[in-house]
Amino acid sequence: MCDERGAAIEPVAVVSNERVADDVGRVVFDAPRTAASIAPGQFVHLRIARGADFILRRPFSVHRAYDGRLEILYQVVGRGTKVLAEAIPGDVMDVIGPLGAGWSVPGDATRALVVAGGLGAAPMGMLVEELAAREVDVTFALGAPSAGRLVARQLFESLCRRTLVATDDGSAGTCGFVTVLTPEALERERPDVVYVCGPEPMQRIVAAQCAEAGVACQVSLERLMACGVGACLSCVVATSDGLKRACVDGPVFDAATIAWEPSGDAEVAG
Amino acid sequence: MSGRVDMGVRIGELELRNPVMTASGTFGSGREYAQFVDLSRLGAVVTKGVSVDSWAGNEGPRIVETPSGMLNSIGLQNPGVEQFCENDLAWLAGQDVPVVVNVVGHSVDEYVAVTERLDAEAAVSALEVNISCPNVDAGGMVFGTSCPAAAEVVRAVRRATRKTLIVKLSPNVTDIAEIARAVEAQGADAISLVNTLLGMAIDTRTRRPVLARGFGGLSGPAIRPVAVRMVWQVARAVDVPVIGMGGITDARDAAEFMLAGATAVAVGTANFMDPTSTVGVVVGLERYCEAHGIERVAHLVGAAWPEKGL
Repeated sequence: MCDERGAAIEPVAVVSNERVADDVGRVVFDAPRTAASIAPGQFVHLRIARGADFILRRPFSVHRAYDGRLEILYQVVGRGTKVLAEAIPGDVMDVIGPLGAGWSVPGDATRALVVAGGLGAAPMGMLVEELAAREVDVTFALGAPSAGRLVARQLFESLCRRTLVATDDGSAGTCGFVTVLTPEALERERPDVVYVCGPEPMQRIVAAQCAEAGVACQVSLERLMACGVGACLSCVVATSDGLKRACVDGPVFDAATIAWEPSGDAEVAG
Repeated sequence: MSGRVDMGVRIGELELRNPVMTASGTFGSGREYAQFVDLSRLGAVVTKGVSVDSWAGNEGPRIVETPSGMLNSIGLQNPGVEQFCENDLAWLAGQDVPVVVNVVGHSVDEYVAVTERLDAEAAVSALEVNISCPNVDAGGMVFGTSCPAAAEVVRAVRRATRKTLIVKLSPNVTDIAEIARAVEAQGADAISLVNTLLGMAIDTRTRRPVLARGFGGLSGPAIRPVAVRMVWQVARAVDVPVIGMGGITDARDAAEFMLAGATAVAVGTANFMDPTSTVGVVVGLERYCEAHGIERVAHLVGAAWPEKGL
């Protein structure tokens, strides 16, 4: 899914940085080269701060790319995202990108189901824009712990024919994990393809539902990652075809090939 | 040389156009970084560890960032020497850069088998025998932490190849100079050090070790003072060249290792932060020499020793 120019290091300047949901921020970078070449589902490797204390870059999926800009959604979970949350317009960082293999849209697809839990909505912005451009009929199932943590709902509602919502506490939409929405959506919408991103136990459940329904399913997996270019082997994913690297073979994989880690359903978060 | 400084150094039979190499395990087989770095500008590419049969490596998570460093427990995942030769080495052979292949094994026989196989490959300029990986249960560091075991591996491997033989040492020992002397006595042409320091991180939220395997190897600037000290100790204890590594991110760091006694240096974890850091070190070292009126980069080697001095 890389363009012919491939990945490169690009200095990027912060254009804006704001909170868009409880504990979720959206940073917009001026990044003409990467924005012009990135495909839906690919990611960038962001160097958040210079100085010896930050040894590793952070991988981020790209929510949207337009007019030379990259939109990245992030949740403050550690030191890196804390520094990112404090970035102000004009701050300069750098990205390596575009990286990885993104979503694939079958040429004959007419209906798609997109399932996102929490910040799993992040890589779905570019995807639904692409699907809309191809006039694919999209149903979006969006889950979050609470109404205040639903991410990018308006964008998805504007581009998808139906947007279904589930929250763990019932403060918006159906009460429960997003996985309660998918069986019915699969049955009713009969999608040609399903795209999933979110907590891994949730992805595993949706993948199983799709397998049972006989529908192709793609998942975007998250791994701790050092190099981002396939060299260090830190981000491997167990598949039916052996170990694959999330950074170059993924992050998007055919769900049917993943050797899922067994996990209790109690861990599933919307 | 394009500049006024003679940047060439010699490691065994190997002539390097400059002293900057890549550290095994941090640069893949070079192919992954060729989109960012002109490999022909490097002194040598050192590949990831290669074993006789394929190794799956350890369970994930395999890495975690720590203060000024990172822990890894990759576990030497690799496709085995045949696949390596067919794919990675065949590609590297066309890159106009010396290729040093890192050799790993679970047993002395496995080290020998890989060495014999690679000895037949013209594209391999030198072998780096890895007796220092902390992330495997059998082999690796097990061989590198006792003089008799280290000597046994090197003796056997030395018999299996005429190529330049580099032995990579672990810092997880009481007396690294003693290990260095033991492998030198068995015919090592050079010694590279240090591999990672054994470390651990615990997730206070889950109250469990972060790495699936518990312990891992610490790399990055956090270990640099330890590595510089060990290079100093080893370079003064042996007659063969030393290749220094451990947290090198820029030319200043590289110069520090050379002043401590390293003939060449390797850049590792810094590649993850900046894929072009190896070339940055090459350029910066040349500038450093120019700025200090040093005609040959080799004159830096051990220049910090009390009896030397520029």
